[in-house]
This record gives sequence, structure tokens and C-alpha cells, in this order.
Amino acid sequence: MSSVATPERQQDTPSGQSTGGPSGRTGMSRKKRERIAAALFLLPDGIGLLTFVVIPMLLSIGLGFFQISGFGSYEWVGLGNYERMMSDPLFWDSLKVTGIYVVVLVPTLFIVSLGLGLLMKQKLPGTGIYRTLFFMPYVISLVVVGLLWQFMLDTQNGVVNKALRAAGLEGKAWLGEPSLALASVIAIMVWVMMGYYMIIFLAGLQEIPQEYYEAARIDGAGPWTTFRTITWPLLRPTSFFVLLMSTVAAITGGIEVIFVLTSGGPANGTSLAIFYIYQQAFMFGEYGYAAAMGSFLVLIMVLCSAVVFKATKGGRFDDGDQ
Amino acid sequence: MRDVSRRSLLAAGAAGAAAGSVALSGCGTAKGDDGPLRFWNFYGPQNSPDPAVQAQSDWFVAMVDEWNKTHKTQIELTYIPQPIYLNGAKLPTAFAAGTGPDIFMVSPGDFLRYANGGILKDLTDHLKPEVIEDFGDSLESRTIDGRVYALPMEIEPLAIFYDVKAWERAGLSEGDIPTTWDATLDAGDKLRSPTRAGLVFETKPGYYQNFTWYPFMWQGGGEVLDKEGNSAFDSKAARQALGLWQDAVRHGIAPTTPPAANDVISGFKAGNVGMWQQGIWQVASFNSYAPDFEYGVFKLPVPSGGSYTTGLGGWTFGANTQGRDPDGAAEFIAWAIGSMEKHSIQRMTDWCVKAKTDIAPRRTALELGIEQGGYDSPVMKKFKDEIYPAGRAEPRYPPAVYKAISDAIQGTMLGGDGVSGAVDRADQSIEAYLKSYKGADLV
Repeated sequence: MSSVATPERQQDTPSGQSTGGPSGRTGMSRKKRERIAAALFLLPDGIGLLTFVVIPMLLSIGLGFFQISGFGSYEWVGLGNYERMMSDPLFWDSLKVTGIYVVVLVPTLFIVSLGLGLLMKQKLPGTGIYRTLFFMPYVISLVVVGLLWQFMLDTQNGVVNKALRAAGLEGKAWLGEPSLALASVIAIMVWVMMGYYMIIFLAGLQEIPQEYYEAARIDGAGPWTTFRTITWPLLRPTSFFVLLMSTVAAITGGIEVIFVLTSGGPANGTSLAIFYIYQQAFMFGEYGYAAAMGSFLVLIMVLCSAVVFKATKGGRFDDGDQ
Repeated sequence: MRDVSRRSLLAAGAAGAAAGSVALSGCGTAKGDDGPLRFWNFYGPQNSPDPAVQAQSDWFVAMVDEWNKTHKTQIELTYIPQPIYLNGAKLPTAFAAGTGPDIFMVSPGDFLRYANGGILKDLTDHLKPEVIEDFGDSLESRTIDGRVYALPMEIEPLAIFYDVKAWERAGLSEGDIPTTWDATLDAGDKLRSPTRAGLVFETKPGYYQNFTWYPFMWQGGGEVLDKEGNSAFDSKAARQALGLWQDAVRHGIAPTTPPAANDVISGFKAGNVGMWQQGIWQVASFNSYAPDFEYGVFKLPVPSGGSYTTGLGGWTFGANTQGRDPDGAAEFIAWAIGSMEKHSIQRMTDWCVKAKTDIAPRRTALELGIEQGGYDSPVMKKFKDEIYPAGRAEPRYPPAVYKAISDAIQGTMLGGDGVSGAVDRADQSIEAYLKSYKGADLV
């Protein structure tokens, strides 16, 4: 390829503004070439999404219409799996448990992560160490997390109950009662994920120009007013991201911890929908039924995401109040 | 070009997705591949600091090495950690993709799923009649219409283990070893303290918990299914067995979570346990990790008017009909633990008394084990002579039946459910499932 700029190339430069017409060399308009370039740039991502997200999702939806033995036999059952799902009390119980889990976990995680992000933004001694410590649980395997907490929550010898007893309080069977077990799992998942979302919030906080805070300080605004009028509004795009991602993570994640800690017990008290679906697929060999429930769960997730998008105008917050 | 309506596009997409699901899932088959037959297991090869675990791995390695030296068809061991083997997606996805192992270990809970799916190779023609006779009743739950589909490598009876020193400190003597449920609860009540559980039953839902609960129901004459294959769960025996576990928890005798995070030996050594329902395999663990710990074992107690039985667990070898060489795999299993050759009998004996502490499922191997001193210790002798003989093999109920019973156990033991309601719900679930069940006999 020649390194000398041709007249056509000069015409293509940003300064050459009237380049909407066909190029002499390719016969394509600039707009068309830009579209092709954009498509080429997007192609690798598109192939990845198609291969690893779209096709598996479509296949999963398709599997929901079959009864599958897991050994190569497929029997078309139409909506049979969906009908079974509708009348399966254990599935609805698992959705109820998931609902409680999400409703408690997501706001708690949001508040804790935001609080940590605000704390870490302060120029306090040892901030770097604390930031690392808070983030560390996130990089630990969830199986290890489960094992670790299994020992910590042990009724007789766990450090949690030992600390409670030392404080004159009564120890609890944290994993032995349905409601306590779910609360324990939620607390553990907050502990695991708070570091990640703290970093996201921290990034959002650092994007807020310092001048706004200085102006507020000069105007005599206190910490709460500063937070309410500057930090919170300018952090809303980050908040939207955190809400969305943590909701999806709550609905689809945590299965390893459940496996190690409770196996869905006691009395299905921690049987999240995702755990129940996994159980049906990989422990009971009910692949078609699991695929149908999985598709239904995706639908719920899409609806949840739509609600979040709608409430926050797609996370853009461009309603003129900023 | 004809316009395509949105509806027809959606319909075409759905049909394509459905067809694609089937087509894609059929991709890959083990049959076309060359190379050694793959034997997936959760014992070896591995390097473990635990001498018992290492001995078990060595047993597998030695077995396969010996076969490979003397046979053209080669076998390759693949070690899969037990939690992944039991509950992970590795096995199911491999079978679904047609790339399942040629030889694998099958638990009673999975037996029917594999058998009904046509995966388990009929081993009968590879076994001599005297071998089948030698296995005797051990083959009962692995047989369909008189044909053997998996070969057991061990029998693992359940019993109650107890801490002798704690027992004495609680003012109990040898004569207080309980034989009835009431006496067991009384002993548990005396043994318990703020840091010690009186009597431990399994608390986590799963096949294992059901397995440990069944004997209590059987003792009262209860059954999950009758001889015709109908649900028989709604019975006095099932109610009283659920009631026993519920009472033990309600009165604080049995904990709602296992002591020492379910580490049995640590729990006993730390003084956190008075009695724990466990299996014969714990003898090997005590030998390895607490050789000086003073523990005792006794038969599961019975309800008033009931008769003694216990659960007999244990794994089997199975061959994959969709593997590269199903006959070769079956031949290997027969050679390894199912022939009348001396090496085969000795191998099973070694597994049951050297690598592990189990009851041998073959009469000849059990006799050899006795001859070689494998059952001389008081605990092993008790297991062989008293605990094992009246035992019943772990049932091979399919997942839906297991789950219905599991929910009843969990609900009554830990969820505050009433016993009668839980039994009714389980009975109805089982009955509903049986109406659509197609496959081999469940009993």
C-alpha cells in the first residue's frame, strides 16, 4: 500500500467535510465505509455473543420443549415442561426464596458497597490495605468461601457463636433453621460481593469533579447535604449499573455456597431457583424440565431488568435534573 | 422475495432452536475415539496425606496396572473429586454429550436413571453363575429381570458410634447401650451438654440423609413402595420414624447442624459428640486419624414392637453401553471384582479390609477377609457379626421419590412441619410420580 496520500484519501480526512459521495477507489460512500468498519470492529464481539450467549439461549429454550433422558433420547412434550413447572410447588417455593434473597441482598449490598466506597474515598491512612482486604473475598473461590463459613458458623465451635457467647449472648444454629440459614447465606454473599461493587462505586465517586465539593463547602453545605445534592445525583449512572449487575448476580449466582453450606436445606429454606434448576438438571437428570424453568427465570430477569431500566430511564438520568 | 411475517419468523426460530438443541446435543460420541477405556472414579490416582485415602487410590492404580499388563484393551483411570462426582455437572454433561466414561462408579440412587437410560451394560454374560451365587443378595438392587447391571465392590452398614469416655462421664455403662429408640433418646439426653451433641443424625438434604433414615422406617415395618410398586409411604412406621428424628431435634438431643462442620473424627476428638449415626467406613478414618480414641459401636436401636435392620450402602462398578468398547469394559469389571480367580477375590478382600473398612459383598471375599484377620478387631467383628447380617441394601428409588421423602424428612426435622401432613404430601407426590413412571422395577 502506498504511503502517499491520494486525493481520495485527502477527501476522506475529517477536514474534508463534503465526502458523502462515492469514493473514486472503492465506489463506496464514506458513510457506507464507516458502517462496514464499525461492523468489522463489532464482529468479534458479535461472534462471541452469538456463540456463547444467543445460540445457547435459543438451544436452552428449545430443550424446554423436550423430555430428555440425558443419554441421547429426546421426546417432544410441547408445553408439558411448562405445565409441570406451573404446578410444581417446589419451583414456586424456590422462586419465593429467590425473591426474598434478591430483595434483601441487593439493597444491603448496595448500601454496604456504597458506604465502603465513600469510606475508601477518604484519604485515610491504610486505605490501600483496607481496599485490598475488602476486595479479597471476591477473588476467593465460592466453594472455599462456603467451606470457610461452614466452620465459622459451626453451632458449637464456630467463631461467630464463640464471639456471641463471649459477649454473653446465645449462640445460634445459623445453618440449622430455614430463615436463619437464608439470612446467613445473604450475609455471606454480601461479604463476598461488597468489595467488587465498592470498587465500582469508588470509580464512580472519583469521576465526580472535586470543584463541586469545594463549591458546596464554600456554600456551607454539611456532609449529608453534599451527599444528597452532589454525590447521589452524580453517582446515579454507577448506582444503576450496580443495581442491575447485583440483581442479575443475585438471581443467577451463589449456587456453590448453597451447595457447600446447606444443599438447599434446611427444609428447602435456601433452595434458590437457580439451585433447584441445577438440582433438576444435573442431579436428577431432568434436563428438559430444567431448561423450561431456566427459560422462565430468564424471562423474570428480563422483566426485572426492564423495570430497572424504566425506573432509571436506562441509566441515563438525562431528565434535566442534573 | 416473499415477505416473511413476524409470526412465521418466530415459529421458524423456535423450530430451529429445538432442532438445533437435539442436533447439537448429539454431537460427539465416545465410540469413534481410539485410546484406552476411561474409568472415572473418585478414589485415584491421587496423592493424599491421609494414609487411608492413599491406600484406596493405590488399590485402584494397582488394579488397572495389573489389567493393562495382561490385556490388550487398556484402561485409564480418571480421578474426579467426590463432591464433583456426586453433585457436579461433569458426569451428566459427559453422558449427555455421548462422551461418558467407559467404566464408572454407580451409587444406588443413580442406578435406575442409568439403567432406564440404557447406559448400564448388562454384565450377566461376563459373570460365571458361581460368581453370581457368590455375590448372592448383594446383587439384588443391581439386578433387573434377573440380569446384573452393576457389580458391588463393598457393603457399608450403618450403626451408632459413641464416645466411650463421654459415655462413662455421663454415668452410663456398657449395660446402658440402648436397643430401643426411647433408651437412645434417654442416653442422648444424658450425653448432651452445651458443647456436646447427644445424638447426631444427618441434617443436610440428600440421598445420604434418606439412606440414613430408611432403616428407622423399615424397623417399624414401613416401606416406601409396596410389592406392586405403589406408594406405601403413608404408614405408621414412616410417621414414627419421622417423629423420632423430630423429637430428637425438638428436645435438643440431636443438633440441627452437624458438629465440627461434619468432620466426624474431629467432632468426636473435640468432645462435641456423644453418639453419631455413621457407617462402617468411619472405622478406617478412626484408624488413620484417631487410633487412640476410645469409641464404641452399636446396632441401630428399634422402636417398640419393631425388628432390627440397618441400611447397607456401597458403590458399584458399571460399564457404559455407549462407550468405546462396552464388552471390553464389562470384561474388565468381571476380571477385577467378579471372577472366581484368586486375584479377583483377593482384590475385593484387600479393598474391604486393607484399603477401606467394609463388608465384602462376596461370600468368598468375606471369608478370605476373615481368614486374613480383617474382621478381628472388636469393632469390625461387631459390624460383621451383629450389625450387617440383618441389613437391607440402599433402595434405588428415582429422584422424584427420593425428593418427596427428603422433603418430608427435612420439613419435619428442621422446618417445623407436622408429621402427618408431611407424610401425606410425600405419599401423594410419590403416587403422582408412579403414575407416569416408565422403567425397571423400583423395588
